[in-house]
Amino acid sequence: MSKLIELANGQARWAEDAFVNVTDEDAIPDAGDVILSLARFEAEGDALLSSNSRRVGVRIESDQDIEVLAYDLPRIAVVALAFPKYRDGRAYTSARLLRERFKYEGQIRAVGDVLQEQAGFMVRCGFDAFEPNDGATPDAWTKAASRFRHVYQRAADDRVVAFEERAS
Amino acid sequence: MKAITANRLLDGDVVFWKSGQWVERLNDAQLFDENQAEDVDAAVATGKGQPTVVVDVYPIDLTPSEGHWAPVSYRERIRALGPTNEPTHGKQAEGGEAIEALRHAAGAARSTGRVDLIRRK
Amino acid sequence: MYQYDVIDREFLVDRSNEFRGQVSRRLAGELTEDQFKPLRLMNGLYLQLHAYMLRIAVPYGSLNPTQVRRLAEIARDYDKGYGHFTTRQNIQFNWIKLKDAPDILDKLAEVNLHAIQTSGNCIRNTTSDPYAGATSEEVDDPRVWSEVIRQWSTLHPEFSFLPRKFKIAITASAKDRTAAKVHDIGLLMRQGRDGQLGFEVIVGGGQGRTPYVGPTIKQFLPTDRLLSYLEAILRVYNRYGRRDNIYKARIKILVAALGAEEFAKQVEEEWEKIDAERADLPAGELARIRDSFATTPFETLPARSEAFELAKAKDSAFARFVRNNVRAHKQPGYAIVEISLKATEQTPGDATAEQMEVVADLAERYGFDDVRVTHAQNLVLPHIKLDDLPTVFAALQANALATANIDLISDIIACPGLDYCALANARAIPIAQDIARQFADPDRAEEVGELKIKISGCINACGHHHVAHIGILGVDKKGEEFYQLSLGGSGAEDASIGKILGPALPADKVATAVDQLVAAYLDVRTDGERFLDTYRRVGLEPFKEAVYVQAD
Repeated sequence: MSKLIELANGQARWAEDAFVNVTDEDAIPDAGDVILSLARFEAEGDALLSSNSRRVGVRIESDQDIEVLAYDLPRIAVVALAFPKYRDGRAYTSARLLRERFKYEGQIRAVGDVLQEQAGFMVRCGFDAFEPNDGATPDAWTKAASRFRHVYQRAADDRVVAFEERAS
Repeated sequence: MKAITANRLLDGDVVFWKSGQWVERLNDAQLFDENQAEDVDAAVATGKGQPTVVVDVYPIDLTPSEGHWAPVSYRERIRALGPTNEPTHGKQAEGGEAIEALRHAAGAARSTGRVDLIRRK
Repeated sequence: MYQYDVIDREFLVDRSNEFRGQVSRRLAGELTEDQFKPLRLMNGLYLQLHAYMLRIAVPYGSLNPTQVRRLAEIARDYDKGYGHFTTRQNIQFNWIKLKDAPDILDKLAEVNLHAIQTSGNCIRNTTSDPYAGATSEEVDDPRVWSEVIRQWSTLHPEFSFLPRKFKIAITASAKDRTAAKVHDIGLLMRQGRDGQLGFEVIVGGGQGRTPYVGPTIKQFLPTDRLLSYLEAILRVYNRYGRRDNIYKARIKILVAALGAEEFAKQVEEEWEKIDAERADLPAGELARIRDSFATTPFETLPARSEAFELAKAKDSAFARFVRNNVRAHKQPGYAIVEISLKATEQTPGDATAEQMEVVADLAERYGFDDVRVTHAQNLVLPHIKLDDLPTVFAALQANALATANIDLISDIIACPGLDYCALANARAIPIAQDIARQFADPDRAEEVGELKIKISGCINACGHHHVAHIGILGVDKKGEEFYQLSLGGSGAEDASIGKILGPALPADKVATAVDQLVAAYLDVRTDGERFLDTYRRVGLEPFKEAVYVQAD
């Protein structure tokens, strides 16, 4: 089990990760929550989900489009969006689309090269769980995500935008 | 002949390796001849292991000039001296023999026009 | 000018605190250089040849005297007493220390300045017409829209880690003073048939290794749909721009690969899915921003100023200054005044702290607190009374700011080049100075007329050499500095990419070559033809011969 930070009500805290990341080569455990690659999910996801006894998550690489999950989203517990390198910003788009366009309500998890300096952007794009790659603690994560009192544009979070603040 | 250069993290200044320290003048830098390739690698590795002191550590080639050593590459000469458009800025402002030797160094990037590009009609 | 409110100011304070924290983490070894680099780049801090360089944002080229004075202070206190104005209307300081950068950002924030996103793979400074609000040519004030884009793009959480840098320019006049067509997005403001305002949207222009004049992706975008359409473009780019090769990562590569039509289609499809109500700017906020650019309180004056006419008749230097550096203003009795930072023997685009203070004083006393930066590395006082022009000229003259060479051959754009820049292959500044010296005689320069020379020290083209009438690119040929000339580029509304003239020349042959090109031009030009026009009429051959073939 890797270290997982979860965000709830604006607070970050350590969480026990119930999910097992299953590689494409491994057998899927008989029981328990699993995260599969997109290819594996497309092949075996239906069977797992119909058993109704476990939660299933999907890992999306940065060069994969999340639209392919659209139909299954209501049944997917976790979408893990990979940052192969923290500079690869495609997962920010994927997270926003999941939240805003597809109204996804499950967990969006940041995995890979995940650093606290990008916490603010991730939270705004709709990520609510993080596997930090830099030893960040929940406290550091909360601090990093709350550096700015104001934001200038709408995103996937519910922050009041500058022009809304001005109008009120 | 080689020396090792880097930029100091705190102020970006050009520095040179000298026996485990970083000095500001190329004239004070430690020199490595062709038999000391391993020493060069070791020093570069040490430098790269000091990320809170220096960044961009790499060896440079030197050529003799007026009893001193000057970088072969024009870019490294500018780093060792300062910008050519403002002689009072950068390390060159100190003046002195070593600086003059650097400024007079022949070879790279003093284009003499020797490449014959002009066709005669 | 846009007025910062409490929200804008708190934002800058928070940003500057964030950076201070990031610098501390870096110095403590909690961040590697690899992790720190984009963070410092997104605050404009480069590591260059001699020191750090700080690029401070001048949003759409607009400054007030308080800001200019603070920049002068920073030049004195943290640098070597000068600053350099850039081809994106920003200002750079060449001798900055990392440890001072947090303090500098604090001092900038006090006067509503910052260095946010002036580098990095994010949306950069949106540039615009330096004559905005002063020229009668514009269909709307492009600063309004530049400010809209500035706020929207500031710390945009989805678009802060793009495949590569992203540059937007916006112009609202038929004459393009922003090089919009060679930007990642160029927005050309237009008036629709029914008088409605909109943008012609150009995407995928660019310079660098693969220069392109960008294709029009959308003929007419209503202004109230600007932000949602930009979001669509940026999203398509963020998802599908190449990330495997930094030389193929700009949006121009994606547009070229898909073809303009397919790219436009993908943007349109994405745009249709975007919730306009959430994405586009509310009318109330647009009105608030527009109000801060509300009409300057011009006096009602006669079009003709006797003091001005008298000074022109008496002082030939003043007359020359008026001929070259002064432009018509929309308001009778006023003028737009360009301040050349291209005096002979000076580094192009540089201004000393003292010079900055002179400009600040003039703007305050005579110019409605309004100073602009042009992408040709010059400054503008956009609103000066003709009555005051002789006095303003005298002050400029006393401070080496009155070189009467705007758009002439000695008004050269040059990047800092190998003298300062870690990316450069060759120096640009001495080449500019050689040429300027060659054409220092103001009569000769005027005789030659409009001739835009632009010099880049490397293929990154910060000197805009691809869109120069005579472009000069420094290359490294076996360790020596050589220069490749190109002809016929233009960054204006008639945008074109220059054609290479011939083999690269050694440094000491460049000024001579320019001389030969000018001679060839003067030889065949017809009435009223600029160099660019003559080139377009007669082609490359006569010029090629002039430089590369010698009669015995």
